[in-house]
Amino acid sequence: MTYPSISQLAMLILLFPAAGAIVLAGRGWRLPRIVTKLVGPGVVWASFIVTLNLFLNKASGDFTYWTWIQSGSFNVPFNILIDNLSIFMCLVITGVGGLIVTYAVGYMDKEDGPSYARFFTYMDIFVFSMLLLVLAGNFVFLIVGWALVGLSSYFLIGFWYHKRSAVLAARKAFVMNVIGDVGMILATFVVFVSYHATTYRAVFKALPANDTSSLELAAFLLLVGAVAKSAQIPLHTWLPDAMEGPTPVSALIHAATMVTAGVYLVGRMHPIYDVAAYAHGAVAIVGAVTALFAATIAIVQTDIKRVLAYSTMSQIGYMFLAVGVGAYSAGFFHLLSHAFFKALLFMAAGNVIHAMNDEQDMRKYGGLLKQLPRTSWSFLIGSLSLVGVIPFVGFFSKEQILGAAFSKPDDSLALAVWVFGFITALITGFYTGRMWWMSFAGKPSPERPVEHPHEAPPVMLIPVLILAALATIGGFIQTRALGIGPHLVDDFLTVKAAVGTQSWEGGASEVIATFATMILAALLFLGAYRIYIQHSWKPWSAIVPWAQRLLERKYYFDELYDAIFVRTMDGLALGGLRYIEEPLIDGAVVGTGELAEAGAHSLSLTQTGYFRNYVLVFVAGAVVVAILVLVRVGS
Amino acid sequence: MSTFDAGGSQLDTSWFLLLAAVLFILGTVGVLIRRNPLVILICIELMLNAANLTLVAFSRQLQNLEGQLFALMSMTVAAAEAVVGLAILVDIFRHRDAEDIDDLSELKG
Repeated sequence: MTYPSISQLAMLILLFPAAGAIVLAGRGWRLPRIVTKLVGPGVVWASFIVTLNLFLNKASGDFTYWTWIQSGSFNVPFNILIDNLSIFMCLVITGVGGLIVTYAVGYMDKEDGPSYARFFTYMDIFVFSMLLLVLAGNFVFLIVGWALVGLSSYFLIGFWYHKRSAVLAARKAFVMNVIGDVGMILATFVVFVSYHATTYRAVFKALPANDTSSLELAAFLLLVGAVAKSAQIPLHTWLPDAMEGPTPVSALIHAATMVTAGVYLVGRMHPIYDVAAYAHGAVAIVGAVTALFAATIAIVQTDIKRVLAYSTMSQIGYMFLAVGVGAYSAGFFHLLSHAFFKALLFMAAGNVIHAMNDEQDMRKYGGLLKQLPRTSWSFLIGSLSLVGVIPFVGFFSKEQILGAAFSKPDDSLALAVWVFGFITALITGFYTGRMWWMSFAGKPSPERPVEHPHEAPPVMLIPVLILAALATIGGFIQTRALGIGPHLVDDFLTVKAAVGTQSWEGGASEVIATFATMILAALLFLGAYRIYIQHSWKPWSAIVPWAQRLLERKYYFDELYDAIFVRTMDGLALGGLRYIEEPLIDGAVVGTGELAEAGAHSLSLTQTGYFRNYVLVFVAGAVVVAILVLVRVGS
Repeated sequence: MSTFDAGGSQLDTSWFLLLAAVLFILGTVGVLIRRNPLVILICIELMLNAANLTLVAFSRQLQNLEGQLFALMSMTVAAAEAVVGLAILVDIFRHRDAEDIDDLSELKG
C-alpha cells in the first residue's frame, strides 16, 4: 500500500473541516479577517481534493480505526466505509459545499469580525458532520453524524440570534430533527437486537432473505429519521422556516446536502429496503405525496427563498420516489443535479437579495434582468433545470426518475407515484415560471427598495457561474432519460452494488412521456408570464379563491401541529407550573425557609439581653447538675 | 488526719466548707441581684475565692499539694479575667454612661 494509504486519506477528509472549525472557533475572531476568509472555504476545498484523489484512484474499503465502545457483545468500532456511494456523496458535499462556502466569503462580508469567524466555524462544523454521516461505517456513527448535522443546522438557522423569528425557526428545526434522531436510534436498537451487530457490513450480511416484522420495524423507524431530516410529510414544517438563516446556509444545508441525507440513508440501507417491501413502498408514497404537496404550496409563496424551500421539498420528494420504487441510481443522480441547480438558484437568489438590501419579497422586485444580467441568466438556467427543460441537468435526472417509475413492470404503486410525479412536474413549471418572471421580467416594482442595484462582487458571482455551467452541461454525463447516450452515474454507483440496482429498462413510450412532461411543464412556465407579467389571463386564484387560502395557509399543517402538540405541551407545562411546581416544589422550599425563620423567631424570645437572666439560667443549671450528682452519690 | 491546728484548738474541715458555701452563695446572689457591673465583677471574684477556699481545705485534709497548686492557678486565671473584665468595663464606660447593667441589653431577641 502506498503512502499515504487510503485509510489515512479517508481520515483526512474528516480532519480538514474539523481542524478548520477548531482553529476558527478558538482563534478566529482574534486573527485578521483574511485568515477566516482563507481557512473557512480552504479546508472544504482540501477535503474536496482528497476526495477527488480517492475517486480517481477508485478507492474502496472498510477501515476500522479504533474501538469506541466494547461492552459484552455490543461492539462499536470507529470505522469509515469507502465505497462508490460515500465517495459520490463526499464529492457532492465538498465540491458544491466548497463553492457555497467560497460564495459565503462575499455574502457574509457585512458581518463584524467575531460573527464572521463564527459563521465559518459553523459551516466547517457542518461539513465535518455531513462527511461523518456519509463516511460512517456503522449505525452508531451514522447517528452521531446525523445528530451533528442537525445541531449545526440549528446553529446556522439561528445565526442571526437577535432576530426572534430566526431563533424560533432554529428551535423548530431542531425539535423536528430530534424526532428523526429518535427514530434512527430506535432503528439501531431494533437492528442490534435482531442481528447483533452495529457495522453495516455485519448487519447486511445477517439480514434475512424474507421479510420479517422486525426488519419492517427497523426500516420504518429509519424512514422516520429520513423523513425528518429531508423535510418530507409529515415532518416537513421546519424547512420553510429554516430560510431565516443566511442564504449560503439555505444553499448548502437546506438544499444541496443535509436535506438529501434521507435519500442517502435509504440508498445506504438498500439491503434492508430491498427486503422490507412495505417500508420501501412507504418511502415512494411519502416522496410522491410530498413532491406534489410542496409544489402546490410553492405556487402561492411570495418570499423568493420560501419558493425555493418548497421546491427543495418537492425535489427531494422526487428522490424519495425514485429510491422508493427501487430506481436508486436515478435518485442519486437527481441528488447530484439538484445540488447543482438548487445551490445555483439559492446563490443567485442570494445575489438578488444582496442587491435588494435584504428584501426577499418577489412582488417588490421586477425588471431585474437588465440590471443584474449575469445573476438573472444564471437564475434562468437554474429555473429551466428545475422545470426540466432539455439540455439542463434537471431534465435528465428528473425525467430518468419519472421514466423509471413509468416503465417499472408489474407495479401499480410505481405507476401511481408516476402520476404524482407527472403532475408535480407540471406545477413545478408553473411556480418556477412565476418566480422567474415576477423577479426578473416586466417593469420594476414601485416598492423596490433599490433603484439601481449593483451586480454582486466576483467572489459571489464566480461560484454561481460555475454552477450555472455545471447545470447546463452536467446532464450529459447521464442521458438515460433519452434512452441513449452515457450513464456514468449509474455505472459508478452500481459498482459492487454500492446502491441497489435498477433491474428494468424503459422503452420508447418512456421517452415519449418524458418529452410530453417537458413540453407541458415548459408551456406552464411560459403561461406564468401571461398571468403575472402581461396580466392577460385571469390568475387562477381569482377562479378558486378557497384554494388560494388553503395553499397560503400551507394546508394548515402549522396550525394543526400548533393545536395538537404545541398547545398541549404548553398546557401541560402550565399545569405543571400551577399544580406541581408552585404548590409542591416551591412550597417545600419556601416552607423549609419559613419553618426555620419561625423557629428562630420563637427561640430568639429567650434572648432577653439581660445579664441576670442568663446568669440565673446558668446557676439554675448548675444547681440541677449538683443535685443530680448528689442524688447519684447518695444512692 | 482530718483537722486543722489553729492556736491549740482544732477546726473541722466542714467549717471551712460551710464558710466557702456561704461566700459562694453571697457571690452568686450578688451577681444575680446587683446591677452595677463593677460590683458584679467583685461578686464573681468572691465566688472564685470561695472555690479556692474549698480547694485549699480539701488539700489540707487530704495532705495533697495539688489542691493548693490548683488554687494558685485559679487565682492567676482570676487575675487575668479581672484584667479583661475591667478593660471591657472601662471601654463601656467610655462610650456610654452605663451604671446599670440592664442598660446593656441591645442583643435581646
